[in-house]
Amino acid sequence: MADLPLTGIRVCDLTWIIAGPTATRVLADFGAEVIRVEHAQAVDPIRLGRPINGERTTLNNSGFFNYFNRNKKSVLLNVRHPLGMELLHRLIAASDVVIENFSGGVLESWGLDFEAQRAINPGIIYCSISGYGHTGRDKHFTTWGPTAQALSGLTLMSGLPGKPPAGWGYSYMDHTAGYYGAIAVMMALHHRNRTGQGQYIDISQVEAGLVLTGPAVLDATVNGRGWRRPGMPPGNRAWEPAIAPHNTYPCAGDDRWVAIAVRNDAEWQAMGRAMGEPAWAADARFATNASRLEHQDDLDEHIAAWTSGREAYAVMQVLQAAGVPAGVCQSPGDRFDRDEQLRSRNWWHTMPHAEMGQASEFDGVTPRLSATPGALRTASPLIGEHTAHVMQDILGLSPEEFAEHEEMGVFM
Amino acid sequence: MTGPLAGLRVIELCDELGQLAGKLLADMGADVIKVEPPAGSTARAIGPFVDDIPGPNRSLNFWYHNTNKRSVILDLESDAGAAAWKALVSTADIVIEDQSPGALDRLGLGHRSLLRGDSSLLPPPRIWCSITPFGQDGPWADFQATDMTALALGGPMMMNGYDPTDAEGAPPIRGHGDQGYNTACHYAVQGVLAALLHRDRTGQGQHVDASMHEALSSTTEVGLPYWFTKRVNVIRQTARHAAATRSEPWLYLANDERYALIFGVGRDNASWNKIKEWFQSEGFGLQFDEARFGEPAARQPARGTTEAAEILAEVGRFIAAHPADEIYRGGQERRQSWGVVRAPDEALADPHWEDRGFWVDITGEGRDDRPVRMPGAPYQFSETPWELRRPAPKLGEHTAEVLSELPR
Repeated sequence: MADLPLTGIRVCDLTWIIAGPTATRVLADFGAEVIRVEHAQAVDPIRLGRPINGERTTLNNSGFFNYFNRNKKSVLLNVRHPLGMELLHRLIAASDVVIENFSGGVLESWGLDFEAQRAINPGIIYCSISGYGHTGRDKHFTTWGPTAQALSGLTLMSGLPGKPPAGWGYSYMDHTAGYYGAIAVMMALHHRNRTGQGQYIDISQVEAGLVLTGPAVLDATVNGRGWRRPGMPPGNRAWEPAIAPHNTYPCAGDDRWVAIAVRNDAEWQAMGRAMGEPAWAADARFATNASRLEHQDDLDEHIAAWTSGREAYAVMQVLQAAGVPAGVCQSPGDRFDRDEQLRSRNWWHTMPHAEMGQASEFDGVTPRLSATPGALRTASPLIGEHTAHVMQDILGLSPEEFAEHEEMGVFM
Repeated sequence: MTGPLAGLRVIELCDELGQLAGKLLADMGADVIKVEPPAGSTARAIGPFVDDIPGPNRSLNFWYHNTNKRSVILDLESDAGAAAWKALVSTADIVIEDQSPGALDRLGLGHRSLLRGDSSLLPPPRIWCSITPFGQDGPWADFQATDMTALALGGPMMMNGYDPTDAEGAPPIRGHGDQGYNTACHYAVQGVLAALLHRDRTGQGQHVDASMHEALSSTTEVGLPYWFTKRVNVIRQTARHAAATRSEPWLYLANDERYALIFGVGRDNASWNKIKEWFQSEGFGLQFDEARFGEPAARQPARGTTEAAEILAEVGRFIAAHPADEIYRGGQERRQSWGVVRAPDEALADPHWEDRGFWVDITGEGRDDRPVRMPGAPYQFSETPWELRRPAPKLGEHTAEVLSELPR
């Protein structure tokens, strides 16, 4: 197997749902050996998550789970059994990283706070992702991705003026808390490589959202201008930098849209030429950015009249050929079927999966490392698929010991 | 204390697309030198500005995304500037740039020219990350992009919008805050750090080709799984997950004109009983004692039962009679992951984040002696914490200092 950038790093992965598994997906894509520790009595709900391949769930046929858990191993371990907890200690001793995204306090209740983990493995890097972090008066509160988006301000930064917030349409903060988890773990690994020192990383999903709102917070603390005011959020018009035109425009077909952003007068003139120099493009009211901002309603109406009836990709191509930023609002199917860029860069892959088919589909690994790129190696693991391998080959149980433990209900 | 990246030297040549990547490294201890053209990074022209007065050192966007960096002015099109760039690169562990594909190499100053090509550069083997809208190659490599057009093509926008009952015919909606640039940088830094760990182990450097388009296409949760598994495009819904079929609302307007965000009402009996008790103590949901509400399955909106519809209607009445924060905290105290839809700046008033020491205070032009508050660390490290060592640099503030440090 080709060398991968994180070859040799072992992760004891206690995560579930989305945020934690996103972090370990990144680590696994870059070559870490990620061992998911799973429990039959408290199964990861995403193993039951739609879309399901087939009519009913088997714990192994969720497309949702498959997407977030490729390249990982799965062991079943009953941590309520003393021997199961002992094996978890041994796995921690054999790992570089422990990562979990339980509600605050769960790992403490298992007797595995950072001090306990460090007693087992002095160099361990322990990363926790929770809603509110492990300190502070509300540390016992819990989040889903949308909760974190609402509390951090991200939900209210999305929407049409005068309408309810549009939110995010998916758990942006599950993804992004996971990204911060992966980043933090890799930074801590670099520090450990240099000094031998491990550490404890406490990530709050809401804080990870708040750091994505910096300029809006500063506008309030510096200029006294809060985000909640008439006209905000401004839909698809620009907040800052304040430029126009900047919006989504309807195209031919059902629910087809193109986003167009004109950053300066040169791009405005280029757009006019690309559109065939319609009379309105020469209107003096649209000659400067300040004036275009002032007359955005009329401006948007003219552009929408031009795009309506035109094919979205053709609009994008003609504007891009003139150097004007334009992009089709692509659905997942568009990205898969119509996106020449992703196709040309070999973005789509298949891997066999026992219950998802010989050619279960995946997206690629980004960014692209020139010497040691990340790689797709295996589809998501069946629940407990690697229990025997991990217990025997990594933790050193003999086949007899393994069978005894199994008999006692340790691997469930 | 110093961060986990102390001792690493980073040369950054980034505008609004890549500036967060340099910040993430600088805030954790790396010495990040930001190279700017004489006119300054274009991010310095992005508002809002201090007291709404534009100026290269007054952009709050720049303030936020350039903490802990040093600023050096170089004119890369001049011989002296090009020589200084090469000298700087030769001292770097990591280079991060967000210029158009090939732009730096046309000056002989990009990764193709300098990462392996120019033997005059000093070791150590370095990592060179190019952050671009679409990657270094492919038919769209030279397409222009902004944060919004990237969110359109990458997929997040098409996941996000409205139920027809809230806004008939509404377009897909772009969330603000430059989340396309942010996601590009999150992935770029993941790649840089993976390459760094590889270099720790092998001594080998490499190029990192970070495409915003690919990063965004990797950040749409259930969108691709539905396509892969079912060949179904999910539909947009107001402030909740795009899904194959329309689901129950999550937003409810409270009596203070704010929205509470709720889901999972009474999925299990323990939480149902707590919610029921709360509602009934204030005279709501008196019918919930009827046996027909006792079954968890009957309470699930996805099942389309009259009980589920009655519960949601009662929830709406209950919330409409309370302030949103009371719903949020009352739900959380009853172990529901409920939220309140806040403006970004409204989090400043929530003492929990002060308990954690989350906010930091910075200074800058126009606020030299009146520090202002902004978000701090995205993660708390026990041994090598995030640290604000200096505010964003003024344009060219460190030119003389940095050039005097260069090897001659």
